[in-house]
Amino acid sequence: MRILLLALRSLRREWHLPELRTLAASLVLAVVALGVVATLSTRMERGVLASAAELIGGDLGLSAPENIPRQFAVAGQQRGLSLTNTASFPTVAFAQQQSQLLDVLATDNAYPLRGTLLIADARGKQTSSHGPVAGTVYLDHRALIGLNRHVGDSVQLGGRDLRIAGELIQQPDGGELVAMAPRALMNISDAKQAGLLGVGSRARHNLLLAGEPAAVQNWRTWAQSTTLPQGGELITPEQTQERMRNAFDRAGAFLRLTALLSALLSGVAIALAAQRYARRKTSEISLLRALGTSRVRVFGLLLGTMGGLALPAALLGVLLALLLAQAAWMFASQLFSGVPTVLPILPAFAAAGMGIAVLIGFALPPLVRLADVPPVAVFRASVARRLRRFDVLYLIPAVVALALIWNLSGSAKLAGILAASLLGVAVVAALLAALLLWIARRITPGGHPALRLGMAALARRRGLSIVQATALSMGLTALLLLAVVAPALLDGWRKELPSDTPNWFVLNLQDDQRSDFNKALDRIGANQLNMMPLAVGKLTAINGHPIDTLTFKDERAKEWNDRQLRLSWSDDLPPANTVIAGHWFDPHPAQAEVSVDTMWRDMYALKLGDVMRFDVGEGQVDAKVTSFRHVDWTSFRVNFFLLMDPTHANVLPHTWLASFYLPRGHAEALGALSRDYPNLSLVDVDALLDRVREIVQRVTGAVRWVLGFSLLAGALVLAAALATSGQERRHEAALLRTLGARRGLLRIAAACEFALLGLIAGITAALGAMVGGWWLGRSVFRIKDFMPQPWPLVIAALIAAFVVMLLGLAGTRKVTHTPPMRLLRAE
Amino acid sequence: MSGGSRPVEKAVLEVRDVSKSVIGPEGRLDILSNVAMQVSEGESFAIVGASGSGKTTLLGLLAGLDTPTRGSIQLDGHALEQLDEEARADLRRRLVGFVFQSFHLLPALTAEQNVMLPLELEGHADARERAHAALDAVGLGTRRKHYPAQLSGGEQQRVAIARAFVHGPRVLFADEPTGNLDRRTGRHVCDLLFALNRDHHTTLILVTHDMQLAERCMRSVELQEGRLVPMGEQSA
Repeated sequence: MRILLLALRSLRREWHLPELRTLAASLVLAVVALGVVATLSTRMERGVLASAAELIGGDLGLSAPENIPRQFAVAGQQRGLSLTNTASFPTVAFAQQQSQLLDVLATDNAYPLRGTLLIADARGKQTSSHGPVAGTVYLDHRALIGLNRHVGDSVQLGGRDLRIAGELIQQPDGGELVAMAPRALMNISDAKQAGLLGVGSRARHNLLLAGEPAAVQNWRTWAQSTTLPQGGELITPEQTQERMRNAFDRAGAFLRLTALLSALLSGVAIALAAQRYARRKTSEISLLRALGTSRVRVFGLLLGTMGGLALPAALLGVLLALLLAQAAWMFASQLFSGVPTVLPILPAFAAAGMGIAVLIGFALPPLVRLADVPPVAVFRASVARRLRRFDVLYLIPAVVALALIWNLSGSAKLAGILAASLLGVAVVAALLAALLLWIARRITPGGHPALRLGMAALARRRGLSIVQATALSMGLTALLLLAVVAPALLDGWRKELPSDTPNWFVLNLQDDQRSDFNKALDRIGANQLNMMPLAVGKLTAINGHPIDTLTFKDERAKEWNDRQLRLSWSDDLPPANTVIAGHWFDPHPAQAEVSVDTMWRDMYALKLGDVMRFDVGEGQVDAKVTSFRHVDWTSFRVNFFLLMDPTHANVLPHTWLASFYLPRGHAEALGALSRDYPNLSLVDVDALLDRVREIVQRVTGAVRWVLGFSLLAGALVLAAALATSGQERRHEAALLRTLGARRGLLRIAAACEFALLGLIAGITAALGAMVGGWWLGRSVFRIKDFMPQPWPLVIAALIAAFVVMLLGLAGTRKVTHTPPMRLLRAE
Repeated sequence: MSGGSRPVEKAVLEVRDVSKSVIGPEGRLDILSNVAMQVSEGESFAIVGASGSGKTTLLGLLAGLDTPTRGSIQLDGHALEQLDEEARADLRRRLVGFVFQSFHLLPALTAEQNVMLPLELEGHADARERAHAALDAVGLGTRRKHYPAQLSGGEQQRVAIARAFVHGPRVLFADEPTGNLDRRTGRHVCDLLFALNRDHHTTLILVTHDMQLAERCMRSVELQEGRLVPMGEQSA
């Protein structure tokens, strides 16, 4: 307790020291950067799930090809959940001379439990609504056009005349691209009375549930442990909006990278400030030791001082993080259509913990060393200096940094790349600094006296100069990586969704319709047409073992066992696919082959050479796994988990799936197309595309905003690095001034010194950012053909060198303007 | 080799055959060789010698700041070479006071806070009152709130002396206490040291190259290239 009081008094006295303020500022910054990003990520995660729930129409659901057993609804009611029953099926609607195949959703009045059902009346006024009352129906715009009807007219569905009570503007649609269209919403009692849900119908029945998260999770766990109805599957938020989730995941990775670099930069600033603090405290500690204070008490005193500094700083960081996260959320929440999520508090406190870990990790080595200062150093400072050698303590910051990278990157690859880049930069910077210092010492003797003085100053503090150059290099690398490479990465990302990205999907296209449909698309101005065959089947066995008898660790496997899966085939590897193991199909393989996406590989623990059996139509096919693919699911192309070789797959019963781009405003033309091809399902993904584009745009803004933390952290590193040699510099300047050196000479000497430091840091940082950025862009963010532009990096490096020089000069300005007597007295 | 043969009272410090060597860039360097001496309670004892003769090293060993390579040092009956650093620290806190050539005041602390430091480390509740008394004793009662930078060299050394005496040490070690002061100020500081030595019966061991100062001590020895040479005895 006494030690703590002493420590707090010591802190109060020393608070004016710049190194302690740097320590506190670095800690606040680290906590804010980590806290804001963690809070935002948690909220985004909740937002994505809530948003997905909106699209399902509930928090969770169960879907089956027959009536859902009552026990599932009862279990939901017992857990206090709200329920709604729906059924989806295709049927043909008639109106006078017109007929149109519709994708119908029959609902009760409780639908939707989540999300918005938006209906327009005859005057176009939009209101949010629930499922239609009996005797009425809602039709979407294309259905109204296809049937040539208006709101208020009648339409015949399943032999019943229903009044069109409104135009369906927006409905929770599951986010599935393969939903049917045009759409209609009718009352489920009408559908039952019309016999649309009877035996032999193609209806899919859904039970949707919503309520308290814990209760929903409880029902989910119960349902997973219960035998689902034949062909039944859970509808979960995670399954929906896969593309949106990918966009967020990548954005999240980017934000975490930025926060991580900010925290690491803060760590470097902390290390430098702690080292300077330790140097300043050496004489005091040696005195305390001489006066009989034990090493443990000295360490306790230092730890108490740090604790007294860290706790308020961390709390301030938490407060600022929460405030900023709240402000950022107000900006970002529009992405989730006003989905309310509570401000999560815990991530900010976890960030405070991480920040304190950074402080301890990076400040501990010099402080432990400081506690080890022998009492005899009170007579000879050189004894204390001799102690500053490398030992295992200096591995602590490395361990903390690695733990932080591991924790935040969420992937071994990102962690590896970052750690390797920063380590590489540190090693190169240290070697380059040592080499340049060695050269400088040899070439400067004949140079200008100012140059000689500058170089001599650097060479005299060789160890410190190398530490400064390394710290500056790491700081600048992180900044260049983010400030120059990040926009390029974000640009590349945006380019992945060009304005002519396919915005319409067509299902159920038959072989004999392909040619005419192609021509029809040409006529209405569609382009970017891409067609893929589509066979629907089930996985029934792996290596001859029936799938029902096999057990898999991955929970998803159980759900997929009962689901219908889609198979396709292609001569060439489709775009957005990369073979990562095995080989793409030979032209005419003897045995059927299949290429499997990595998710399926992991889900079923597949190996190359395994044989998968699929039931397709009436037949069966055994296909050998010959390759694994990485699929970019964010690409908005038609992608498949399973691709077969065309030689064996062509004989399977199949339809075609097409995607194309149709400029906005041409959707009316599709009405006629829809009438000409009543079997086709046309799906508009413009809204989804807009949403993803909006997310990219907003997240890009957020990344730039979070970059500000890194810039601040970088500035702190710069200030801390330049301050490390401040004391020695003041002493030297005072001596030189005493000996008659002019201010100009001192300034030029300092300019030479800092310019060289800045140049070393700039060159190394440009190289580090170039290599690290290229590596990150290709491997983590998977931006195709990504190559950071060297010129902006070179220019940025030169600017950085210049800024280092200016800042260094600004720092020495006081020294050159203070009378030498005062400087010497202050020593 | 003995520095004196007249123990006034009970020996507070006994040095037997102490040597100190360090390994430098040019191999082993013997700083002290076979030093032996004895200092009694209440005595004033000077160690003189030229620069580099090993005076400060010897003082560090005597005060338990460092350990000898060979030999034995008994401080108030405790064999320093047998104690670990923590135990020696404990001994220093209880028994020893220091006055340094360069004062070693903490610049961030006021005169009063500097003097309170040893008492605070001991956890004395009356640290402030005792610090005031000590500062009054060295004539700086009116400068309590001044920082070291606001005090002259002589005043700073007087604060250092107040700090050295405030917790009532048995032995006071002074390393060139007048080395950074002018002759007149140095004399005042010395008067203060000897007065405290006399009034508090505190053993005073000082290292100096100032022969006049050494002559004011009861006994003095000279260090020549790490070996002790007796200089005789003077009256205090």
